[in-house]
Amino acid sequence: MSTSTATASASLSDSPRPGRLRRFSQLRAYTQNLANSSPSPRSYRNSFSSRVPWLSPTSSSGPDPSPSHVGNSTAPCPESDQPALSRYTSAPSSSSHGLADANSQGSSTESSRSTPPTDRTQTTHVMARLRSASAVQSRPPRILDRNANPEASSPSPEPSAAQSDATDLAGTTSAEAQGTSLKPKQKATIRFFPYQDSLQSSRPSLPFAPIARTLPSESCVIRVGRYSERDGIPIPNPTEPSDAPVGFKSKVVSRKHCEFLYANGQWHVKDVGSSSGTFLNHMRLSQPNMVSRLYSIKDGDIVQLGIDFRGGEEMIFRCVRIRIECNRSWQQQPNEFNKNTESLIKNLGKGDAADYSGCRECSICLGSVLRPYQCLFMAACAHVWHYKCISRLIHSPDYPMFQCPNCRAFTDLSAEVDDTNDFEGDGEKDTKKPAVAESTQEDPPQTQESTNGLTANSAGETQDQQENHHSDEPSLVDDVENLHIDDEQQAGAASEDTRSSDSPAPNTSQDDLARSATNIPGWQPTQPLSVPSSHQSHLRTDTPVRSETSDENPLTPRNDSGPLAFDGRAGMP
Amino acid sequence: MGSQKRIAKELAELVETPPEGITVELADESNLYEWTVHMEGPDGSPYHVQRKIPGEALLPTGYPFKPPAVSFATKIYHPNVTTDEKGSMCLGMLRPDEWKPSSKISAVLQFARQLLAEPMPDDAVEGRIAEQYKNDRKRFEEIARDWTRQYATS
Repeated sequence: MSTSTATASASLSDSPRPGRLRRFSQLRAYTQNLANSSPSPRSYRNSFSSRVPWLSPTSSSGPDPSPSHVGNSTAPCPESDQPALSRYTSAPSSSSHGLADANSQGSSTESSRSTPPTDRTQTTHVMARLRSASAVQSRPPRILDRNANPEASSPSPEPSAAQSDATDLAGTTSAEAQGTSLKPKQKATIRFFPYQDSLQSSRPSLPFAPIARTLPSESCVIRVGRYSERDGIPIPNPTEPSDAPVGFKSKVVSRKHCEFLYANGQWHVKDVGSSSGTFLNHMRLSQPNMVSRLYSIKDGDIVQLGIDFRGGEEMIFRCVRIRIECNRSWQQQPNEFNKNTESLIKNLGKGDAADYSGCRECSICLGSVLRPYQCLFMAACAHVWHYKCISRLIHSPDYPMFQCPNCRAFTDLSAEVDDTNDFEGDGEKDTKKPAVAESTQEDPPQTQESTNGLTANSAGETQDQQENHHSDEPSLVDDVENLHIDDEQQAGAASEDTRSSDSPAPNTSQDDLARSATNIPGWQPTQPLSVPSSHQSHLRTDTPVRSETSDENPLTPRNDSGPLAFDGRAGMP
Repeated sequence: MGSQKRIAKELAELVETPPEGITVELADESNLYEWTVHMEGPDGSPYHVQRKIPGEALLPTGYPFKPPAVSFATKIYHPNVTTDEKGSMCLGMLRPDEWKPSSKISAVLQFARQLLAEPMPDDAVEGRIAEQYKNDRKRFEEIARDWTRQYATS
């Protein structure tokens, strides 16, 4: 990038740290304050809502606001945050790019893991050629690519980044600006699935519909607590990136129980002073009502909120066990594995089995999935099995949720068919990669031939002809023979190919699916988990609409006075 | 039915190219679900003796959707192996919620052998042995060697 951004990032690099530290100490002071002020919880809430402006500002209706406390606890917050905020948000856009440059290394490791180093050099080469506009070649391709068009992908909400700043502490490590330069597909995504501990023969935990969140910006925090109308109507699985709070209808979950946040390329969890505890893989994170430090979480971790109360016989006394699914974004974009699978399916039924390792074996029967005329099932993670072998896992009690027996990725089989194209900019990048892979792979000659046939083909013909061609076997043979001559022109054709293979209408036929890497079903980058809306509304409706008030503090005895006091209403005078 | 095909395939693979220190055969030619396993104690571990340690792998009919069970036929002094006559082995990957149908027996057996070389005291079934393994490694190895000599070779 230009020199101006470099200097900007340099000058900024000093400032965040003291700010961060200062805010941390503030937060600590704030939580201690909170612990002390527990006898008069209203003050705490006032302070909280003043701190967190997007919470519904309803605090004024409390019957007896005790002014002294309010004054005390609110005092340090707004003043200190505002300057920091404005400093970040008012930074010129060029500097935000600079910052993103510095930080993107961390977040890009995840995605670049999918591309082996050998592939990378080739990719750089081609990309440099295709994208002559972006003159930077010293960086790894991912980053280069992301920086090349920051404008295209920067509709990111500056205000939301600023808002979340208030509660956030680790999010500040990567400045708010980073969110602006992230492509949508690289946004941090986390999913929560209910987890039943089958081993300990313990009581079942609270059932809930799977929840998915994609952070709109890296500094956002996903707050988890007891379900409450006050947080607005919860959206279990928003299609857009969202940091909407997650609520569970269990009384062992505190109103403010824990938070999930994304920092330095990793997801973290922290207990924010819950009374019955947050457990990460059976380890309690903090003492009751104490804020814990950040604990990094990885895919497959189990987070438990609270402990069963009164034997957990009633649903609302059950603890919540969450199986975390995160850091899987590499799986949802083109990588070596699913590109191989793609070509495998492309070549299926053509007689000459490609020698692609890793995806030719059905992991259930250990037989080959390459033979034509078999019914196959492919999950969103691009693992393939014979339908007969896998059907037992598909039609399980968990049905529409399907867990891949190879990689444990969850797929919602009832999700809407995603027939949208990729984002404009991404599509270009994505299709380029398969083209590179095809033209450079060292395969047995006959596969080389057939892949070349396809690529050169799509370069030379119009969309219409292409479709004829795919449905017409004899002409295919001809074409393959003809196009074999074109081997030398491969390099040129590859670039052409990116354009033509980008265009096919996504919902036409199976062939199209196989042909373009971006259209493999069920793996749009930001594909949300769609849960039947009836389920959501059901979850929502059985708590009576709550008027307002009562206190936030989980310790207040009133909250526990009635068995149905999800929201403190039953205990109210 | 499907599982038999897979088991036969795995068995053939294991017999043809046995992993290091492990030999496998059917306990009864007519029963695919019971395997006899002979495992050589890894070099340098107290389980390394002249003879291979006998054991067995039992495959449930639901295999590969259900995990197999691996056990030693002789007594083994090890934090992750029960000291009763069953000698069953506690392998993380064999727990019902950890098991993946895509895991193969070969991997399970290699993992089991690895566990002989490196016990996992934090995941133990015999807490006392685990304690000793952690605090008094020398004594642990002594007993383990004794046991192995006494039981595995007789």
